[in-house]
Amino acid sequence: MPGPATEPSSHAGLQPGTAFYSRRTIRRWLRLFVFYSLVMLLTGAVSVLFADLLWRSGWTGSSTVLLVLFVILFGLIAIGCMHGIFGFVLRTFGDPDRITRFGNYKEQSIAGVSVAIVFPTYNEGVARVMEGLRTTYASLEQTGQIERFDFFILSDSTDPAKWVEEEQRWCELVRELDALGRIYYRRRISNEGKKSGNVRDFLSTWGRRYRYFIVFDADSVMRGETIVDLVKLMEVHPQVGLIQTVPALVNAESLFGRIQQFANRLYAPVFIAGLNFWAQGFGNYWGHNAIIRTDPFMQYCDLPHLPGRKPFGGQILSHDFVEAALLVKENWQVWFAYDLEGSYEEIPQDMISNAQRDRRWCQGNLQHSLVLFGRGMRGISRIHFLMGIFGYLASPLWLLFLITFNWALWNFKRSELSVITVRGLTTPFLKLSGMEHAFLIFVICMAVLFLPKILALIDLAFDRKRRQAFGGLQRATVSAVMETFFSSLHAPLQMLWHSKFVVTILMGIGVSWGPQKRSADGITWTEAIRRHWGQTLLGILWGAAVWKLDHPTFYWFLPVLAGMLIAIPLSVFTSRMSLGSRARSLGLFLTPEETSPPSELDTLRVRMALLEKTEAPQPANAIIAEAVLDPYVNAIHVSLLREKQLNPEYRDALIKLGVGRPEVRELAEKLLGQGPEALTTAEKVLVLSDADVVPWLHRQAWIRPSKALAGWWQTAIRKYAR
Amino acid sequence: MDLSLESALNIPGASAEASGNIAGRPLDEWNAAYAKVESYFHALRIRNKVLLGRLVIHVLKRAMRRAPQESHRSATELAAEEMDQVVTEWFGQVLQEPPVGTDHMLSTRGRLALLLADMPGKWQDQFLHPPPWPEEFIKAMREAYLRAGPDFQLAKMAPRPLDLGPIATLSNLSMLPFRKMIFVWVVLTLLFIALFVVTHNSEQNHHLLNEFLSRLEGIFH
Repeated sequence: MPGPATEPSSHAGLQPGTAFYSRRTIRRWLRLFVFYSLVMLLTGAVSVLFADLLWRSGWTGSSTVLLVLFVILFGLIAIGCMHGIFGFVLRTFGDPDRITRFGNYKEQSIAGVSVAIVFPTYNEGVARVMEGLRTTYASLEQTGQIERFDFFILSDSTDPAKWVEEEQRWCELVRELDALGRIYYRRRISNEGKKSGNVRDFLSTWGRRYRYFIVFDADSVMRGETIVDLVKLMEVHPQVGLIQTVPALVNAESLFGRIQQFANRLYAPVFIAGLNFWAQGFGNYWGHNAIIRTDPFMQYCDLPHLPGRKPFGGQILSHDFVEAALLVKENWQVWFAYDLEGSYEEIPQDMISNAQRDRRWCQGNLQHSLVLFGRGMRGISRIHFLMGIFGYLASPLWLLFLITFNWALWNFKRSELSVITVRGLTTPFLKLSGMEHAFLIFVICMAVLFLPKILALIDLAFDRKRRQAFGGLQRATVSAVMETFFSSLHAPLQMLWHSKFVVTILMGIGVSWGPQKRSADGITWTEAIRRHWGQTLLGILWGAAVWKLDHPTFYWFLPVLAGMLIAIPLSVFTSRMSLGSRARSLGLFLTPEETSPPSELDTLRVRMALLEKTEAPQPANAIIAEAVLDPYVNAIHVSLLREKQLNPEYRDALIKLGVGRPEVRELAEKLLGQGPEALTTAEKVLVLSDADVVPWLHRQAWIRPSKALAGWWQTAIRKYAR
Repeated sequence: MDLSLESALNIPGASAEASGNIAGRPLDEWNAAYAKVESYFHALRIRNKVLLGRLVIHVLKRAMRRAPQESHRSATELAAEEMDQVVTEWFGQVLQEPPVGTDHMLSTRGRLALLLADMPGKWQDQFLHPPPWPEEFIKAMREAYLRAGPDFQLAKMAPRPLDLGPIATLSNLSMLPFRKMIFVWVVLTLLFIALFVVTHNSEQNHHLLNEFLSRLEGIFH
């Protein structure tokens, strides 16, 4: 077991707590200036071109709205384009200013360092979390440095079945890996503060023991070597508070998942290199697959509740950006280690799950608009906040742009005037008709939008090893074209979803998604109809209206309308595992992790496939039966409850929950007499939280005569007979 | 505790019993009791059928001894109680902790120890077996402890207030270290706006623009 954290090793370099205005700092400012000046130049030039077009067609009230929206929206895609251009140049000619290039970290010793690897989990697929942990543990063991690390499963699960399953699988894992005293399990009594509260609770209890902690997501996997490299980097750079890796998306099987995964693996390296160009030591945190220096994090990153009511007030939901900003504010550096391989995460397998995830992120990112103006925040942190906010706000702006355009068109048609374009600023140089002028702007927009993708492909063409990992340049190019086609269909749906999210969040309306209905192969047709009928109807009505207004405009609008019109089949077919597999066999959307899987991912995949084959899905409440009847599961559960009571905070929380009151025994009687269906989830959690009642239940369930037990228990007991 | 096969087959009072009854209860009732006890030992992962049979009979024999005195209770009820008692007593012996009434603590600890010592895998023959036990088994049982977390090192994290006031922000913005950059960008934006306004805004400007554009055209041609 690692010892308590000691002071960071001292190295030459800038010390935290003081601003660092070195030559590197000046260079960083210059980078920021050059990057965003180019963005502004591009945006300004094209915006003037657009304004000129509007003027040539006759300026109206809608022209002003269109222009303002155009400037904002083009600015956003210009930022994306610049990331692509800068990233491409840096990858082609080399980027000396990245954390892995500062000093020889490989030789750094990590003897005496203590690191916690934490897996916060909340009602997640338990088997997958444990297998991810097992994979990372095994990989870390191979580095010979395992004794520096402790693993923590930090459960916030509110579902009693998940809770018991987590305990059961944790115990199995610990026994199989002989890792008792190295892999720990802790479940909070209440999940206050959600994920950030979960991590904070860990830090308050054990944080002082560890110099660093590495945060995983429930679906994260990291290579042991990468983890050790992160620790070495932190040791070499004592002024660094956080290093964020860029997780590769892996293990997707559906067509949608594989397309997203391919796009991530092909484009992300270029984009992130561009991001690192201007962010440097003022990077960002994405909530997982990152190493954090415990001491400053504990000191500065306990997030306050924001004033006011939801959606902006209350708990900070997207805590990661704010935590990075707070570290930066206190002169701790935050870096992207974008060239460290071996950091992985998974993605939703279909469009609907993807949108569900976006709904959660959307609220958190919009909430950043409050923190955006926080006193003392660094300018670059504000840029990160802004980019996060506009990641979602851009959708309603696009929608507004299209609606305004239609409104302007309708106004024009109603006026029954003919189109006469006058001379404009560009006329002497380009001699364009109004239509040609509009087409030129369209082409520029498309070029700005797609240039990063083209550059990513050229980047791939230059790298033989990487090219092979993507199945060859030809296949990668075909895949990129198909991905672009799919994106253009998916984008309007994203626009509608995000617009809905933004509006409902701003109005304080909660959106309940309910459980998703999936077949073994993906989304069912009924589920797709239920989720997409509104988008399809909107597409039909919108299309009909535009067609009625102006036939040529309808064809211009077709790319936007097409996604809406075919939303249902698009959602169903792209969620299909069989189509994902078919595309793979055709060599489409291949990623390096598919063509030559790293051993960690291979092991994980095999184990998960085995578990799926051998473990039948459990009926409802089956795990409750195990918690009560199974002598071992019951003993594990009770033992963990007793250990929990040693923590004064948990003991108080248990009392607050109602543990120890006579009502709990009454509920337990009800559980035995009427079965688990008679209890609510909260009541089951209460019964299962009582360290005296749970063993009592075990004994009673086995010794009571059958007539004193609900028929449900008799059936459950019979399952133990052969 | 006698777990020999002969002993297991020697059921108390069986010879003096009327046909179809054991210890004053119908065979079906004992069958149900057998199933219940066997289920519990299955739940403890006792896989060996010979051992399993002997353990069940051992428990049933104890229940049968009680049966004549407790005629109002079913055979299953008596067997289940005996099973619980036998197991708890044995835990007490192995773990050197005397059982106190219905001691849940001891039972829980014992079951956990069985799991962690891998009784189902390595020591099935030792389960409910009278002493002496192999040293390794005793050590594994007595030292079994499920440690869910390291020793606490409690610390209090205190949230620091964030100053979000817009007025404070405005003053703060003016203090930005790269205000010069922002100034340049603002100037750039103004230039673009000015360029557009100057060239498009009024009739006079329009006229000027046309003149300017005509001259430009002249230059280009």
